[in-house]
Amino acid sequence: MDTTLHSLYLGFSVALQPANAWYAFLGCLVGTLVGVLPGIGPLAGISILLPVTFGLNATQAIIMLAGIYYGSQYGGSTTSILMRIPGEASSVMTCVDGYAMAQRGRAGAALCIAAVGSWIGGTFGVLVLTMVAPPLATIAIKFGPPEYTALLVLGLIFLAYMSSTSLIRTLLMACLGLLLGMIGIDNMTGDFRYSFNLAELGDGIGIVPVAVGLFGLGEILSTPSVSAVKDVIAPRLRELLPTRQEWREAALPIGRGTALGFIIGIIPGSAHVISSFLSYALEKRVSRHPERFGKGAVAGVAGPETANNAASTGAFVPLLALGIPTSPITAVLIGALMIHGVQVGPTLVNEHPDVFWGFVASMYVGNVMLLALNLPLVGLFVTVLRIPYAYLYPMIIMFCIVGVYEVNNSIVDVWIMLIMGVLGYALRKFDFDPAPLVLGLVISPILEQSLRQSLIMSNGNYLIFVSRPIALGLLAVSATLLALAGLSFVLKQRDWRARLAAAEAGEAER
Amino acid sequence: MDRRNFVIGSAAVAAFAAVRARAADDYPNRAITMISPFPPGGVSDTITRPLDAALEKVFKQPVVLENKTGAAGAVGAQYVAAAKPDGYTLLTHIVSISGFAAVDRLFGRTPKFTNDSFVPIARIVADPIVMIVNKDLPYRSLKELVDDAKAHPNKLIYSSSGLYGASHIPTALFAKAAGNLQMRHLPTNGGGPAVTAVLGGNVNFFMSPTSIALSHIRAGKVRPLAVSSAQRIKSLPDVPTFRESGYDLEYYFWVGIFAPKGTPEPIIKILREGIRQAAHSREFLDTLANLGQDLAYMDQPEFAAFWAVDAKRQEDAINAIGRVQG
Repeated sequence: MDTTLHSLYLGFSVALQPANAWYAFLGCLVGTLVGVLPGIGPLAGISILLPVTFGLNATQAIIMLAGIYYGSQYGGSTTSILMRIPGEASSVMTCVDGYAMAQRGRAGAALCIAAVGSWIGGTFGVLVLTMVAPPLATIAIKFGPPEYTALLVLGLIFLAYMSSTSLIRTLLMACLGLLLGMIGIDNMTGDFRYSFNLAELGDGIGIVPVAVGLFGLGEILSTPSVSAVKDVIAPRLRELLPTRQEWREAALPIGRGTALGFIIGIIPGSAHVISSFLSYALEKRVSRHPERFGKGAVAGVAGPETANNAASTGAFVPLLALGIPTSPITAVLIGALMIHGVQVGPTLVNEHPDVFWGFVASMYVGNVMLLALNLPLVGLFVTVLRIPYAYLYPMIIMFCIVGVYEVNNSIVDVWIMLIMGVLGYALRKFDFDPAPLVLGLVISPILEQSLRQSLIMSNGNYLIFVSRPIALGLLAVSATLLALAGLSFVLKQRDWRARLAAAEAGEAER
Repeated sequence: MDRRNFVIGSAAVAAFAAVRARAADDYPNRAITMISPFPPGGVSDTITRPLDAALEKVFKQPVVLENKTGAAGAVGAQYVAAAKPDGYTLLTHIVSISGFAAVDRLFGRTPKFTNDSFVPIARIVADPIVMIVNKDLPYRSLKELVDDAKAHPNKLIYSSSGLYGASHIPTALFAKAAGNLQMRHLPTNGGGPAVTAVLGGNVNFFMSPTSIALSHIRAGKVRPLAVSSAQRIKSLPDVPTFRESGYDLEYYFWVGIFAPKGTPEPIIKILREGIRQAAHSREFLDTLANLGQDLAYMDQPEFAAFWAVDAKRQEDAINAIGRVQG
């Protein structure tokens, strides 16, 4: 502990040098912009700015580039809450309750809670990173294909808690998502599946075009068919801040989101995408008022937003401790460090303590900067809602199209988004919830790959899933959840979901 | 159409034609786009970005790297194959560019482009492959691993960056050279995940581009058994080559620059000279050294000859792998 404190002291003495603090600020600023603007994701932002860092030293470069990465996680919630456009997969769940809160005139509160939650998630993540990064990372790489499979099965079990509609509708949407996720090259045999001879479909359907289409465009398309002209939601200044009650509702979800997000974040691979989905489902599971979810529940914003920030910090654990990139973004960061002559790997801490600890300390500083940057901006962002819909909506459509094109420079992605927009409109009309569809799409390729990889490892023996402790543990949790659900069914205990279904049936009769 | 419009229109056409005729003289007179068919973070991306930065200084024009990813690099290559051959759209690609047509034929699909769709301009780097095993495995030499694989068919598992990809091919060539070894293949989504599979003990070995594996080797987490270059390499002087160990395998993970077929010869000439200068600039060489790579520059004639041999190797390997039964 003494050495940690001493190292942190070294780190802060590096991070607080005016030049380094300036680059941290610059990175956070660019990150916030990148997060707010749909389309330019953190990956593109970092790659474009990479050559700019050639003139800097390694510490400054990593401080700035990492600032863009975690900064973008703050900004990502803004468009989700205000316009129902998820800038990236991790902010899909925020579209549900965040946007619902904005509809109730609580946009400011939602933005504040998202910012504060992100800050807590990020800072806590760095704290754990400081203390236990190396041992944690060693455990994290034990997370092979069988463990992944078990984790995703758990994710699927949580599906029932994903949406505000009845179970059958939820499962229908999830199946559709899983099917869409099958499109593309079969990673194990190289066959094209459902690709219609389009090379662009070879990699499958992207999550961003689908999410933007279903949520953002679907929302806009359905607006003209609502006859009542809604008042422009322009909150007064004092309404920008969350109420005492809202803070209280946010506290526990922020705590749980932090822990959950961090744990998922340290796992190498693409699992961090599902951290916000899992957090949302978890909040709904433990909530005493699950029926409020989807209608502007504070916990539905606080949990997922915190979780995705904690996950993005957690992703630095394998990066810094082992030199393993957990995502394309951390891969670019490794490339950036290598270009500056710093070999990333298990020896980083000993060989370049100033880079390592300076970088860690800069994340504490950067998170405070982001909070200071984002809270005042809440007022500014909310005024966007004062723009009359007749002007705002065409602009949003333009943003959606440009943004989706920018992700892969692919016109096929734009078509996918437009088709999904129409589907999103239809789903809205028939009262289906698109969130489970997106989760299915996220999970499907990873689940398929890890399942088949596991079976390659075991030569086709399914016992591999119960002979490895972590996988067995995760599957046991899944089984327990299923058993509990089965038990309440046997006991004919009508839970909130049954009441909801009954209410829906009642409405239909009327 | 009145006469005035006609005159203006004709003048415009004439002016345009004149501009086109002069095109090679003042090439490049606007921004050049370099298409990278892989996501940022891959080897081709980390090599080409600094190269483009150096090229901008030579040409005094912006050189923009654009990632057009998909289908393991086929989408970007197809895009450039269909682009206007005016020297303003170039392609940076890796060793696997030669394999797409062979894979397409294997599956009975009509290839959308072949190697003839591109004009090679220069090879920039050629990273040998190093075979790595987890430090906890008993294999001290390549022979021990081969003996085990022969004694227990289908026991060993290797990871790769993807099916028919830049690390699957050399593994297939190795298996063939060692007497048709029967091993299991665990494809992943890239070099990073494939190394992770070795580190986590989920597979037995991975044939990795040296630059990716080096830090893990130095940290003692993985053990190198052999490198795929003709001679031993500077960064791993104690590791024997495959040939030394008795297996006929020479293979490089190379990155090269291409133009679409039909690009005028004068423009190709300017590009060759520009890229030669950029590749030998101090700043680019420093960056390469930091990345743990050596410049393995080849100008067009040499590169074209190398590519022809390499492409044959790729096709043979793909046909040897054949269609994988899922």
